[in-house]
Amino acid sequence: MTLARPVLAPLPPRGRRWGLLLGVAIVVGVIAYVAFSSVGNALVYYVTPTELLARDDPSGETVRLGGLVKPGSIQGEAPDLTFILTDGTTEITVRALAAPTRSFREGVGAVVEGQLDADGLFEANEVIVKHDENYVAPSEGGLPTQAFDPGS
Amino acid sequence: MIPTLGHITVVIGLAATIYAAAAFILGGRRGDPGVLASARRGMYAAFALVALACVAMVISLLTHDFSVVYVARNNATTTPPFYSVISLWAALEGSILFWTLLATGWASLVLYRYRARLPALMPWVGATLALGTAFFFAVMAWAGDPFVRVTPIGPEGNGPNALLQNHPFMGLHPPLLYLGYTGLAVPFAFGMAALITRRTDEEWLAVVRRWTLVPWIFLTAGIVAGAWWSYAVLGWGGYWAWDPVENAALLPWLTATAFIHSSMVAERRGTLRTWTHALVIATFVLTLVGTFLTRSGVVNSVHAFTTSGIGAWFASAILLTLGGALGLLIWRLPDLRDRRAPGAVVSRESAFLFNNVLFLGITFAVLFGTLYPILVEATSGARASVGAPWFNRVNAPIFVALLFLAGVGPALPWGGASWATVRERFAIPILSGVGVVVAAWALGVRDAAPLGILGLATFVLVVMGDEVVRGARSRARSRGEAAPLAVLRLATRNRRRYGGYLAHVGVCVMAVAIAVSATLGTDRTATLQEGESLAVGEYTLRYDQLVTEPLASDPRVIETRAELTLAGPQSGPIATALRDYPNSQTAIATPVVRTALGEDVYVTLLAYNTTSRAATIQVFINPLVMWIWTGGAIVALGALFAIWPDRRRRAVEAALAGG
Repeated sequence: MTLARPVLAPLPPRGRRWGLLLGVAIVVGVIAYVAFSSVGNALVYYVTPTELLARDDPSGETVRLGGLVKPGSIQGEAPDLTFILTDGTTEITVRALAAPTRSFREGVGAVVEGQLDADGLFEANEVIVKHDENYVAPSEGGLPTQAFDPGS
Repeated sequence: MIPTLGHITVVIGLAATIYAAAAFILGGRRGDPGVLASARRGMYAAFALVALACVAMVISLLTHDFSVVYVARNNATTTPPFYSVISLWAALEGSILFWTLLATGWASLVLYRYRARLPALMPWVGATLALGTAFFFAVMAWAGDPFVRVTPIGPEGNGPNALLQNHPFMGLHPPLLYLGYTGLAVPFAFGMAALITRRTDEEWLAVVRRWTLVPWIFLTAGIVAGAWWSYAVLGWGGYWAWDPVENAALLPWLTATAFIHSSMVAERRGTLRTWTHALVIATFVLTLVGTFLTRSGVVNSVHAFTTSGIGAWFASAILLTLGGALGLLIWRLPDLRDRRAPGAVVSRESAFLFNNVLFLGITFAVLFGTLYPILVEATSGARASVGAPWFNRVNAPIFVALLFLAGVGPALPWGGASWATVRERFAIPILSGVGVVVAAWALGVRDAAPLGILGLATFVLVVMGDEVVRGARSRARSRGEAAPLAVLRLATRNRRRYGGYLAHVGVCVMAVAIAVSATLGTDRTATLQEGESLAVGEYTLRYDQLVTEPLASDPRVIETRAELTLAGPQSGPIATALRDYPNSQTAIATPVVRTALGEDVYVTLLAYNTTSRAATIQVFINPLVMWIWTGGAIVALGALFAIWPDRRRRAVEAALAGG
């Protein structure tokens, strides 16, 4: 397979090295650009109801809202389910457009991903119920910590 | 009594590994075979001791000895024996114990097999391995003691994590992953030994390649089995979520794979030598980083073990290893000069070079995406995560480029290629790829991803097929062998190359399956009353009834299942359940997966209402998913074929042993 005359390799070794370096630099540059330029938008922030409502413009942006499902607040069934998420000080009514991925009950910690609309209703695209057996209720205004379901 | 014994064996094990490290260094400097033999016995003893400690832990779990904190936290009197045994690796302290067992096992195996070979390298290999395992013993002796006792002793334990006792796969994928992780210490030890003794030659590379491939096979199998576990257990219809723990396993796999490729260039052409050494170091450091990420509580993950004081230990170990190894590498840079000019831009070695750049690109992107939330939290205090779409968007094009190179590399000669060669080698594969794309289009496939990947995979497969046919033909002609025999002989005489090709066949199968399953699947969610039906694609699913009853194997677990009747290409009664574990706040999904060659029907129960008897059911039609696992198995088999010892290699090794 080395029989063919290497017509494509007329460059001296030094030139080849620069050619390769240029190729590598282009590949690295493209990867770095794609990675850095989009990671800011890819960030999904975890917020509590208090933190979300304290924002200047709380509606619109996709966030993960964490809190406890307020007892007695679950109404209807997915895909038209509403419930209240609370962090002890602030409450936000959540409407789940998608079904919760696990059966979830009153009082459990839940994280919902979606946006707050102009009327103050949180439209959740997904509901993530925490499944950590060592779960501790969040401190007032705090966040539930630790494991979130990767698959939801 | 037994837990105390376990703790004592750990402490003696620590002493044994420290002794072994000291004796290896001393024996290596003096060239004293007696001291070196004693050092090896120190490592064997450490292995035996940690094996005893594991037995002590398994007995404590099986006898539900709740005086041990680990048992009380991860076991209950009703835990079935199988899940009691595998609880050895289901939580933090036990997993480190199990990890140490495997690490000392690999170390002992290598020291035993090379006891009479590579006399200059082995003392330093032994010293590195002994120091590495001593670290894990030290962690167990102080920060992460698995045998910590508690008084008063409770009558009942907490039971294993519900998610981890819901599927027997938990018995399979962690050991495979850990075997891969721990085994990667071996090439690192050889790398350090080669740098220390300045024997950075091809002999070193051949040994390290082999000892990278062995754990690499386990790591590959472990990652694929882990994806399968995620698919079969978590009930979300997918298999890869770019979860930090998945990423932690992927990172060393990426650099190890890059090494497997670059080492061929280093061996054949004498170039990329520093780079190849750096990859060995990076791979080992990334196994430590992965352990750190998953065991220190710095990242949020479904698998993350509870926060512990072990983080500081691992952070220090990572910095020490990275600093020491890089320092050594820089010190020895003059030894690692390239022995030949780099190849032309269009040559096989350049294909390998770009392969490595792309693998490192993915490594960088995955590491960056995993660590970025930590950075954000450290600087702004906000908690955030980088979503899976970002990982897919950044990495998918790189994986596609890698697949392309898998076709380009084998077709190009070393050194440089002429236009004539390029035309001759690529015409048929490219035409075949285009032909398959056109055929798939004609059959109704319209999405770009499956079309592109199908075309690329065809290109790669035809390039390799062409290579095999050429080789077999010339063999058949020159030796007068029949075609099948010629192919077989060709493959078994060039195991490395054809094992690599087989692995690439597996990669093509996986790539097509991933692209098709990600784009051509459908899913539907509906809330049904008993007797109602749901239609998805060619299937109809009738919801018959809701049943709630305790599980036969563990009556503390209450299962609520929706019994359904499936009609369509696959049919029959199926049941999908949610299980309530006494130690779990939320019910655990038990999805049902009906697998056929073409597609999976995946049904999961999302929610139910015991008064109205309504059930919310999600149905996924996932095409080709079983080919992802099959492709993974082919990749592992290819690597196994490549390293399978043959007669000629044994003869070479015997000669090496004699010299």
